[in-house]
Amino acid sequence: MTNNMKKILLLSILNFQLSICLAQVGAPYIHDPSTIAECDGKYYTFGTGGGGLISEDGWSWHSGAERPGGGAAPDVLKIGDRYLVIYGATGGGLGGGHNGRILTMWNKTLDPRSSDFHYSTPIEVASSDGMEDCDAIDPCLLLDPTTGRLWCSYGTYFGSIRLIELDPKTGERVEGNKEMDIAIDCEATNLIWRDGWYYLLGTHGTCCDGVNSTYNIVVGRSRKVEGPYMDNVGRDMLHGGGRMVIAAGDRLCGPGHFGRTIIDEGVEVMSCHFEADLERSGRSVLGIRPLLWRNGWPEAGKQFKEGSYAIVSERRGYSLELAVDFIRMKQERQAFWRINPDEPVKPLPNQTLAEVIGTWPKGNIPVRLSDYMFRPHQHWTVIPVAEGGGFLGGQYCKIVIEGTDRALAATEDLELTATEQFNGADEQLWRIEQLTDGTYRIMPKRIPGQEGLNTTYCLYSSGDSTPTLACYDFGSDNAKWRFVQVVN
Amino acid sequence: MLLEILTMISKTYIKYISAFLLFAGTLWAQNPIIHDQFTADPTARVFNNKVYLFPSHDIPALASQRQDWFCMEDYHVFSSENLTDWTDHGVILSQENVPWGKPDGYSMWAPDCVFKNGKYYFYYPNAPKEGRGFAIGVAIANRPEGPYTPEKESIKGVGGIDPCVLIDDDGTAYLYWSGMGIRGGQLKENMTELRDSSRIMEGLPDGFKEGPFAFKRDGRYYITFPWVRKEKGTETLAYAMSDSPLGPWQFKGIFMAEHDNKCWTNHHSFLEYKGQWYLFYHRNHYSPGMDKRRSACIEKVSFNADGTIPEVKQTLRGVGVTKATERIEVDRYSDISDGVTIDFNDSTRAFNGWHANLPRKGSYIRYDDVDFSDLSDGYLVCKVKANANTSFTIREGTAKGKVLAKQAITVEGETGPFRRDQRGQWLTLTAPIQNEIVNSKSSNSKCLDLFIVCEDKEMSIDWVQFKNRTTYMKPASGTSQPDEEGFIRRWLLLEPIKQDIPSNTVFTNTWLREAFGKEYFSGQMTSLPKSGQKEKVGNQKLTWRLLDSETYNVRLFRFAEKWGQQTYGSLFWAVTVIDCPEEIRNVRLAAGSNGASMWWLNSEEVLLLEGDRRMVEDDGMSKRLTLRKGRNILRGAVINGPGLADMCVRFLDEKGKAITNYSINDK
Repeated sequence: MTNNMKKILLLSILNFQLSICLAQVGAPYIHDPSTIAECDGKYYTFGTGGGGLISEDGWSWHSGAERPGGGAAPDVLKIGDRYLVIYGATGGGLGGGHNGRILTMWNKTLDPRSSDFHYSTPIEVASSDGMEDCDAIDPCLLLDPTTGRLWCSYGTYFGSIRLIELDPKTGERVEGNKEMDIAIDCEATNLIWRDGWYYLLGTHGTCCDGVNSTYNIVVGRSRKVEGPYMDNVGRDMLHGGGRMVIAAGDRLCGPGHFGRTIIDEGVEVMSCHFEADLERSGRSVLGIRPLLWRNGWPEAGKQFKEGSYAIVSERRGYSLELAVDFIRMKQERQAFWRINPDEPVKPLPNQTLAEVIGTWPKGNIPVRLSDYMFRPHQHWTVIPVAEGGGFLGGQYCKIVIEGTDRALAATEDLELTATEQFNGADEQLWRIEQLTDGTYRIMPKRIPGQEGLNTTYCLYSSGDSTPTLACYDFGSDNAKWRFVQVVN
Repeated sequence: MLLEILTMISKTYIKYISAFLLFAGTLWAQNPIIHDQFTADPTARVFNNKVYLFPSHDIPALASQRQDWFCMEDYHVFSSENLTDWTDHGVILSQENVPWGKPDGYSMWAPDCVFKNGKYYFYYPNAPKEGRGFAIGVAIANRPEGPYTPEKESIKGVGGIDPCVLIDDDGTAYLYWSGMGIRGGQLKENMTELRDSSRIMEGLPDGFKEGPFAFKRDGRYYITFPWVRKEKGTETLAYAMSDSPLGPWQFKGIFMAEHDNKCWTNHHSFLEYKGQWYLFYHRNHYSPGMDKRRSACIEKVSFNADGTIPEVKQTLRGVGVTKATERIEVDRYSDISDGVTIDFNDSTRAFNGWHANLPRKGSYIRYDDVDFSDLSDGYLVCKVKANANTSFTIREGTAKGKVLAKQAITVEGETGPFRRDQRGQWLTLTAPIQNEIVNSKSSNSKCLDLFIVCEDKEMSIDWVQFKNRTTYMKPASGTSQPDEEGFIRRWLLLEPIKQDIPSNTVFTNTWLREAFGKEYFSGQMTSLPKSGQKEKVGNQKLTWRLLDSETYNVRLFRFAEKWGQQTYGSLFWAVTVIDCPEEIRNVRLAAGSNGASMWWLNSEEVLLLEGDRRMVEDDGMSKRLTLRKGRNILRGAVINGPGLADMCVRFLDEKGKAITNYSINDK
């Protein structure tokens, strides 16, 4: 644990509101990150100017990805068994004109150390002549799952955002395709499709001004890929419309260049960069956030914050707790018809850990689900474990009873227990991910006796009062949980 | 069944090709004339006032075939109405569909097609199933594009290649071909059989001959043919004349010399179209290393009074007019100065075309017949490459003629994080047009001969094009009302006042109040200027212009580009008059601007948009206002550093509905 972390822990004990958000670790310095691509178990994202980041686990990022061609804001998409990389070869008016070119190229792998790593000759798919109302930079790719057609939006503040169609087999412009204007006031756009809607995500605000950058990501949606893309108040993105997806916050400002990654059904993350991370000298860093869907609109979720929580089942609303004796709180009982209204009232203290811990057995204690009564055996402190590693968008955490080191653990028989001490083992590390509906799934890093990392079993309500480990199913509330912050 | 499939395929292909033409949007006038495949032995015919081109179709030799020989498995037909735009109608006949032919002969050599008795007769040589050598077959169609149905058997008594049919004025048809010399014979009325035995064409010179093309002009018969005039030579194009269709012939000499690149064959046809005679021929433009893959070309032909044919020179420019608003492939030049060279854009993909290299100051390319009639308010676009900063001009008429446009090519020297070294890279660049384009030779034509002149260091050029600017606003005319969405499109705009604003981060409330509060010209906050009125601001003399915007937003950046002394770093003053038939209460002024702006209604400040912002519909709202009956003066000031200055303004009611029942600056 670093000194910094100790300080943070101290702060978080004093006041949970102050607890910081965990950003990506390593050296995640990038601008305009492409949609995160997975290749042979590693994650890749490319940025402006060339190069990009690689991560083994999706949490710790380092430079090392290779993309020739320079220029601004690339995107990458796996089509079949190849990766199509698209980029603008120019800088969008920075140090030059608005005569932009967009090119595509293929690679069999994104791993620069692979013998297959070889980019095909780039092919121009769009350009702007410098006078027209467009600057051909900042391209993105969407492979339409309903039609198999490949779309690209591109452009910047200089004129319009344009839509073109590419051939998914060649990466070339479809013969006869004419570009269409679909938005203004955007940079670094991205197109996604979900549930019958096309979404155009654009970056508004001012970039490249460090801690004063007002970059933010907005969205409009359309039933057709050609638009019109309308925002939540019915305003066309061609008139500057857009609903906020992510703004500054958590000491990070200037989110830009959206990318969506679907991890599992109902588990999605968005990638972006922040123009400035105030924890890191105001550098531009990679950001990965849960992606939530509310009434058909995408919104960035919050990075999970360490703190003390009740863990409440979506099934019944019961709270995860140690299976220990319920210790009643003492209270002077007064029959309500005999209360003297003039007698002053006073606050009653919460039950404390010290009052009850002596009644708990030693060794492992089973866990169960029950009515939440804000009692010590129901309060769990969730703390990231630096040595525990991470996953795409998050860090493994330990889940311990508040004020103790008693840790929630997975057992070999796919059940749960609370061990007396946290020992750093993988079955005591938990992957907590916010789902698209705002609830969470909670998965042990590893199941004792099973090969490899666990990506199947999650904390699950087998009965209203009985937690277990079972296969994740987004369609079932049994697999979903809420974290309710504890106020002591 | 097969033919149906063929037709289907060819229909699909037509779609594909026309889509391609639409995309490329290019008027290909130059040589070669077809740019996506090889086209040899071009026979051109006029049917239904259109030119149909029946070439043979070279393809790269298949692995199973001789690599150094012709490989030809099918025929396409192309059509054009101007000899520049060619539509590929797809495959009309394939070797596997010829009943008497070898399905894998790859010997579908030079064809011809004629119209007789309501049908189109397509004559083609092919390797027969049995025996050696070549036979000639006929395929018949109701339309020139096909589908063509091949006859079951080849024409009896005809062994050889290169069929050509001449239909005389009396309707008699004669077939000529090449087989042990050039032979001819009369066809029966059915067009599929010889009437009598054929005969050798007499009076032709010694030496190898093939590919006869016979035609009649001014009562004279011509037989024209590729001819090897020298020992170990290659083919010229030669001709003989006669008073009768089957000779005897009087040899007249050559009308096209050997190819200067050792391309062994040539093969041709003559065509009269819209009063002009043309020669179609071929050359291995797209296959410089291998002369069995050829491409069709066209040159104009004239005739002497005695009917003889002056020698025709091969050009790259070819025939036809090139529209200025389409890409002008200047590497297909009419003429070049010493030292100008032409290279493939990609030596591995010849069909990607060529570019020209201009080695020094003064080097030029002449490109004739560029039609500027579609260009009104235009600019130059070009694709160029250089290894050092340089420039070129486009001039009219001569290499020292009037400059239409001057293009700087800046590839190094600028700094900044995004500026890469652009030396040796293809760049698309633009430049304004400097002089009005009027053909100085002919007042009623906007067809010019252009000179592309290198004005500094060495450079390469792929193409140039002239594009019309978008019309963003026009001088106000007629009455004006808010548009359907309530946006005010008619404004008096003052040409932009220069401001030194390197970044919009300065647009704080305090800064803006000072900037907008300053007096730039007298009557700034009170007067209603007239269109054309001048203001002196600092050392700038600026004019008010009454304009109607073409779009809901008023593109101030484009206004500055057209009428201003600067674009970025500008302060724009805008005034308009709102004429209300009735008093309208509880309205709000809704404005968006790029960048900051301030708005006054009847001299009262009603809205300030602060900070570095883009123009968004209904970005800022005034408090509730009353538009009084009659004249209201709406005044705005928009200030911008870098960025596309822009504004959109309307009035909305309490429920957010646009107010449209007033007129704007009507008097």
